[in-house]
Amino acid sequence: MKLERVFAVASREGREVVRDRLFFSMAFIIPPVLLLTFGYGLSLDVVDNPFAAVDYDRTAMSRDYLHAFIDSRYFKFKGCLENENGVFDLLASGSVRAVIIIPEHFQERLLSHRPVSVQTLIDGTFPFRAQTTIGYVEGMNRSFNTRLLSDYLAQTRGISHSRALRILDPIEVEVRYLYNQSLKSDWSLTPRLMMIVLMICPPLLTSMGVVREKETGAIYNIYASTITKGEYLLGKLSPYVGVSILNVLVLWLMAARVFGAPFKGNALFFFAASILYVICTTGMGLIVSVLVRTQVAATLITFICAVVPSVFYSGIFVPVPALSKGARILAHILPAMYYTNIVTGCFLKGIGLKMLWIDVVVLAAYAAALSSIGYFIFSKRPGS
Amino acid sequence: MRGSPGKKRYFNRSLTAENSDEIAPNRRTVLWLRRLRVMTVKEFLQFSRDWALILFMIYAFTLDIWLAGSGVKYELVNAATLVHDDDRSLESRELVSRFRPPSFDVRGQIRSTQEGIRRLDLSDAMIVVDIPPRFAESLLSGMPTAVQVQLDGSNSVLGTFAGSYVTQIVSQFGLETGLERIGLDGDKLENVPQVREEHRVWFNPNQDDRWFMSIAELLNIITLFSILLPACAMVREKEKGTIEQLLVTPVTPFQIMFPKVFSMAVVILAGTTLSLFGVLKPCFGVPFNGSLYLYYVVTLLYVFATAGLGLFISTIARNLGQAGMLAIMIYGPMIFLSGAWTPPEAMPSFMRMLMLISPLHYYIDASFGVLLKGAGLSLLRDSILGMSALGGILFGLGMWRLRTQFQ
Repeated sequence: MKLERVFAVASREGREVVRDRLFFSMAFIIPPVLLLTFGYGLSLDVVDNPFAAVDYDRTAMSRDYLHAFIDSRYFKFKGCLENENGVFDLLASGSVRAVIIIPEHFQERLLSHRPVSVQTLIDGTFPFRAQTTIGYVEGMNRSFNTRLLSDYLAQTRGISHSRALRILDPIEVEVRYLYNQSLKSDWSLTPRLMMIVLMICPPLLTSMGVVREKETGAIYNIYASTITKGEYLLGKLSPYVGVSILNVLVLWLMAARVFGAPFKGNALFFFAASILYVICTTGMGLIVSVLVRTQVAATLITFICAVVPSVFYSGIFVPVPALSKGARILAHILPAMYYTNIVTGCFLKGIGLKMLWIDVVVLAAYAAALSSIGYFIFSKRPGS
Repeated sequence: MRGSPGKKRYFNRSLTAENSDEIAPNRRTVLWLRRLRVMTVKEFLQFSRDWALILFMIYAFTLDIWLAGSGVKYELVNAATLVHDDDRSLESRELVSRFRPPSFDVRGQIRSTQEGIRRLDLSDAMIVVDIPPRFAESLLSGMPTAVQVQLDGSNSVLGTFAGSYVTQIVSQFGLETGLERIGLDGDKLENVPQVREEHRVWFNPNQDDRWFMSIAELLNIITLFSILLPACAMVREKEKGTIEQLLVTPVTPFQIMFPKVFSMAVVILAGTTLSLFGVLKPCFGVPFNGSLYLYYVVTLLYVFATAGLGLFISTIARNLGQAGMLAIMIYGPMIFLSGAWTPPEAMPSFMRMLMLISPLHYYIDASFGVLLKGAGLSLLRDSILGMSALGGILFGLGMWRLRTQFQ
């Protein structure tokens, strides 16, 4: 292997990237734009859930019950309906996502010390949102009940309100959220989104770079020259790895500054691990580009093959132990999970090489394996 | 090779037709349609020769959707729970036994709080419940007591779930022991004022995440293909220079462009059918509550609207690399401004404005409306109008740019 030839290929490739203005600027614009839109657009906090109510009772107590929802920041009141006829249309058109139906004699039954049922209809299209909504509804209902019961106890047993409350709610629950005290979805998501963005961009750049030569026929110059496979691939890939490393820095800065995610780990360690990961994903791009002929196919394949498994099987949304068995195996096969562990460890938990060394070793093995697979299946003498 | 004799015949005929002045108007229409047909056949042929792309499309519309649908559960499942019980009484054991599967997976006792923190660091546990000494004693004598819970908040979604479940379990336990202490339990609760909350979840009664995930992924795939395929079909002609050849033939820009969009729309609808009846229904049991015809009409409308976007890209990009990058650049924001993941009300107001110009936003409403909610045409009016308006504008814009570039 002659370094001059590697440099020659690398500088030629670099020049080609720089000269294609649009491609060049996209290479630097896409990663931050993806991070920004994912980061701002993917808020899983459920607030201002639009709801409507059907109040058949129309008494002070039923209004009181509804007011707990109206005043809550989790719900947004859209109005009262006369009866249940319009409920389907409202829910089906998506203009409200919950309807609370208060029956007749609500106040009467409660005042005569009898239980009463309130029905809530919830739009289950997005189960996650439905689940969260149910949690909120149950919580509000519980606090309304506590108030009712303490009034009842105070009345019937002749004890003070505060004593009644202490009987009903004897245990205080102190929940402490480690690593992300206020449970900001920004904090937990943006560092991990780095993983996704770095999974999309480097292979995309690489595969398009290599397949472009194949599609335009420029690769025959390489086939005909004396340059070896290794020299060609090394030279070809290094500018793309370089671009991606710059992007790592940009994304890192954005996650920390724009989204305010705390970085608690060792910067040097994180940087090195990120370079390993970028080499991994570049290697994936190389393999795709050896296998396909057209750039359309290359773009689509890298994009879809990279995104879905890395989003859903890497522990971003669902931690790996909670996945089903098959999914868990898949998660362990893909490199995304290991880098996610590193990102979470470095950003939120502040742990370093001592605890994350397995992930680093696996990533390194991946980088080596993917590059050598790419090396072996790339042939200078392709069958027609 | 099968196509070339036909093409030759067509070429000769069109030349003679063009030269004579006395063509009947209906003959002109036939000619126009025939050119359109030949161009469409050309697009199908070109697509069918890219084997990697076809195989990959099949993957995207089947396995990829299956992967997306079956992998994710937005629920607390098997949350690894550790207990630090300093009381070791009947009551504390009763409380711990209420952390049941499938949500919780109690992995045993630990000796100290430090051990809990260490195992949270290692992601070995997600929840550590700390029960103080003399817990039962305080509980039974009516003294206030507190249970400490440490949660891994690095995943905010599950953190929220876990926090609210744990709080609910402990408060419920407290309420029950409190009521029991003052002699209110069992049947006596029938004579206590209480609001029983009964919820019913519509459109997805069992809250099956797979329904949502698989449909959402199908919509994403449709979007990606309907931006990229027409854009690339156009840019390829530009890059290879074959567009020059097309320009000297009598076909109009519309006849060049429309067949590209049309053929890709057919391919995408075929893929959609494959995933509706090959994956969504048999694997996940997604009910198709509304009219499938309506769904196909809406999809076709959407594919045309998005293809307009693709064609617009193709007028900016000079080569396929650029086109791919631009497409991804538009695709990413579209997915996250679609309202599937984040409802409009949870977004900052400028993002909400941007959502209104994303065709995917309307398409997602319409698709979930038809497939899950069984909504009819009258409920989808707004979505369809929005999509048509956007589609018209985008398509017109792409068309106009192409025309000016051709002349």
